[in-house]
Amino acid sequence: MPVHHVMGNEGNYPYLLALWLLPLAGAIVNWAFGPQLKSAAGALGSAAIGVAFVATVLMWGAATQSVPSTGGVNLVGAHQTLFSWLPGFDFGLLMDPLSLLWALIITGVGFLIHVYSIGYMDGDNAFARFFAYMNFFVFAMLTLVLSDNFVGLLIGWGLVGLASYFLIGFWFFKPSAVAAARKAFVLNVVGDVGIMFAIFMIFASVHSTGFGDAFAFAGSYNTGWLFAICLTLFIGAAAKSAQIPLQTWLPDAMEGPTPVSALIHAATMVTAGVYLIARCAPLWSQNQDAQMLVGVIGALTALLGAILGCAQWDIKRILAYSTMSQIGYMIMGVGVGAYEGGVAHFFTHAFFKAQLFLGSGIIIHALNNEQDVRRMGGLIKTMPFAFVAMLTGVIAISGIPYLGSGFFSKDLVIQGALQHGHPWLYAIALITAGITAYYMCRMLFVTFLGQYRGNVDPSDLGIRHPELAGTSAHAAEHDEVHAHAPAWLMNVPVGILIVPTVLIGWLMFGGENSPWAHFFAQQFPHPALPAAPISETLTAVIAFALVIVGIAIAWARYGVAPAQQNAVERLRQESVRMPAVLTNAFYFDYAIDWLFVRTSQLLGTLFGRFLDPQVIDGAVRETAFSAQWLGTLVRSFQTGLLRTYAFLLVIGATCFMVYYAVAMGAAK
Amino acid sequence: MMSPMAVPIADYVGLSAVIFFIGVAGVIVRRNPLIMLMSIELMFNAANLLFIAFSRAWLHNAGHIFAFLVITVAAAEAAIGLAIVVTVFRTSRHVDVDDIALMKG
Amino acid sequence: MAAFWILGITLIGSAIWCITNTKPVYSVVALLLNFAALAAMYLTLNAEFLAVIQMIVYSGAILILFLFVIALLSSGVTPFSVGPNKLPRIGIPAVVVLLIALGFLTYAVNRVTANAFANTSPTSPVGPVGTAGVFGSVADFGKALFTTYLLPFEITALVLMVAVIGVILLAGDQAPYVASQKQAEEVRREMREAILRGGE
Repeated sequence: MPVHHVMGNEGNYPYLLALWLLPLAGAIVNWAFGPQLKSAAGALGSAAIGVAFVATVLMWGAATQSVPSTGGVNLVGAHQTLFSWLPGFDFGLLMDPLSLLWALIITGVGFLIHVYSIGYMDGDNAFARFFAYMNFFVFAMLTLVLSDNFVGLLIGWGLVGLASYFLIGFWFFKPSAVAAARKAFVLNVVGDVGIMFAIFMIFASVHSTGFGDAFAFAGSYNTGWLFAICLTLFIGAAAKSAQIPLQTWLPDAMEGPTPVSALIHAATMVTAGVYLIARCAPLWSQNQDAQMLVGVIGALTALLGAILGCAQWDIKRILAYSTMSQIGYMIMGVGVGAYEGGVAHFFTHAFFKAQLFLGSGIIIHALNNEQDVRRMGGLIKTMPFAFVAMLTGVIAISGIPYLGSGFFSKDLVIQGALQHGHPWLYAIALITAGITAYYMCRMLFVTFLGQYRGNVDPSDLGIRHPELAGTSAHAAEHDEVHAHAPAWLMNVPVGILIVPTVLIGWLMFGGENSPWAHFFAQQFPHPALPAAPISETLTAVIAFALVIVGIAIAWARYGVAPAQQNAVERLRQESVRMPAVLTNAFYFDYAIDWLFVRTSQLLGTLFGRFLDPQVIDGAVRETAFSAQWLGTLVRSFQTGLLRTYAFLLVIGATCFMVYYAVAMGAAK
Repeated sequence: MMSPMAVPIADYVGLSAVIFFIGVAGVIVRRNPLIMLMSIELMFNAANLLFIAFSRAWLHNAGHIFAFLVITVAAAEAAIGLAIVVTVFRTSRHVDVDDIALMKG
Repeated sequence: MAAFWILGITLIGSAIWCITNTKPVYSVVALLLNFAALAAMYLTLNAEFLAVIQMIVYSGAILILFLFVIALLSSGVTPFSVGPNKLPRIGIPAVVVLLIALGFLTYAVNRVTANAFANTSPTSPVGPVGTAGVFGSVADFGKALFTTYLLPFEITALVLMVAVIGVILLAGDQAPYVASQKQAEEVRREMREAILRGGE
């Protein structure tokens, strides 16, 4: 047995336990007493998360403490032992800067989204159930990021998938929502299995599932073995974070209510893959191949998501593809070794993407669940607040220098890719930045500028299946309700989110001396790197130039006065001429269908038609037949006649007699 | 010391075997259950003869005890066998072992 | 010596007569002769108690039982009406098998020699039949039965009791476990039909 390595300083941390268990308590109460709570369910659920956020803030000091241990290695963060199971399975909570960051986002942004949901979900039949699920999700996500071992992480990993399944399929009367929930769950389980295999391999190596043990021996793994561990871990990360080729569930997941999209499918759960890789930084740092693989997948996902974002008309699907693309950035960052950059982009993205989703939620809510941007237009006049919210979000995500938080973090990622020696990924990331600016501005201009097109015949806008586009069964239920929903409940969280969306990036300003770098000084490996061939300033300038180009194209196509004049016709033209490869999202669904679903079906058919009936059943049948044949044979002796039996008995006795006579003769 | 027997033991064994196989032949060939039961009695008696002859040869009375037990069992067997015959006769009104073939497979 | 051969021939002859008779009553008479000859042979083998038992139990009890059953079954219908032989060709193979068995037995018997019993210690001294205390006398037999072989003796009692209970169950008027008269009739009818079908 290897020596047990614990990460973090051992101790009792009541705040840590409180912030972990409060959301669970909220979920249980909402689940059990939902009908009695009525509208208080929202307040209760939000309060649970709000108190958890306060507890998280109170944990700041303990989580960032750094105490030199006997081995000369600094113990960072707080560790609370929970219980031991089998040898090698010790469960505990670990809160170091990385976990703290995630917990802050989960509880902080989570709290704002909960408050927003009180307004958004007002009047829904299953109001309490919604908050039970949301609280349960927060608990599961906290389990994921606070666990000090891989098994606890996997438990959280599975539970967030379950919560995601519940919430995507929240409106279970919509067949599309049910299908999307199922798809998300199945693809996520693929990832769970990947992580499970990684745990098997890690346990086989170090006889422990704790992070401390797994990382302490990171250098001693065989290279191929380590790559296999990283690969299987990354399968899990890719499934959860919607990376190629497991990304197809994320756009469909937008069937869930908009706050769900904001919390789970933008801010927190989908970034679990980023967390996993950042957490396993000691493993990735030891293996160049794994870094390369993750970097390339991340960059490709970023590019692909951005390209597909240009082809969407559903406002939430645009944001979903942008989420996929931005997570691609993060994955690329943590993959190539720029952990601070990748994590920074997670941090800023959580704010601005939540803000974009919540802003779009305001629009969707006001327009009776209309999600198609072609049927919007001119909303700047009727919804100026939503416009401000969306505008700040777009600025942040596009990376306009100094005006939004996304600029700083994206810069860290892009520059990090170059610094760690991946010029091609650097180039892809830059191009993606330009495309991002284009499609986000496209969404913004089409939604807010020009004339309102909600009263135009859908077919004039090129909408082929209006019954499928956004307007859904629950629209009628909401129709009368949203009139007296208190608007401030939705506006205040968005207003609060504007502040970090614009300003939080400054934490990352200042390179080596930034608060951000200090925060993570003890967390990640910092190998000495050669100076990048292109300076950070120049990178920013190039990125900005590409962003300007993207914005300019979007402006020329959707913003200028001539384009506004015949917007309906232009949108129809664009819809009709949209390349099939884009509307079908590069045929990934078909590829998965052909490669896995149909192969499985073929295999199943083969088994069902041949193997099972012929071989397995055949064996059983033949056994039965041979028994029957034998029975027929033996049956002929069973005449039922007493004298036959007596005669057979005599023959048997005679045989014995002959045997003994011969044996006696031989003995003489 | 043992006192010699007037007749060699092999003669007793041969006589016993002949009586035994006459009994076996009776069981196999006859279809009347009463004759079959009598044949079984013959076989018992052949066995008893051997017990007593060997007991005399060994001058050990365990053979006598065993013969006594065999007689007891023979009596029990005869009682039960005849009861079965009576029962079968009661249901079928005629007795022929070839007609009782309920165990036919 | 002469007694052995006379008794032996009587035994074999009466046995053959017993199994070849068509009338069971004659078979019983043959069997009586057989048992009596056997009892006499027991006397030549110093087994006076068993000779008496043979006469009382076999000739007295068992054969009388046979006679009673024959008398019972012969009243009214004839129980020995013979149908087609279901094993028509069993005679020849049976004889062949029996001859083989007998041949091998003879072969084996010829290898048994008297000196196989040379070094055994007798339980009792040998003396003339009818003398108290010698081998095979009633006293000798009783002492062995109630001391050394007490357990087998008690087990014999158990066997007899089981036989008595079994006979009562089998030959009793009505099977006690059958629920009702109607059901019993039904069972009886079905059994009869099954037997008449010959198990087909």
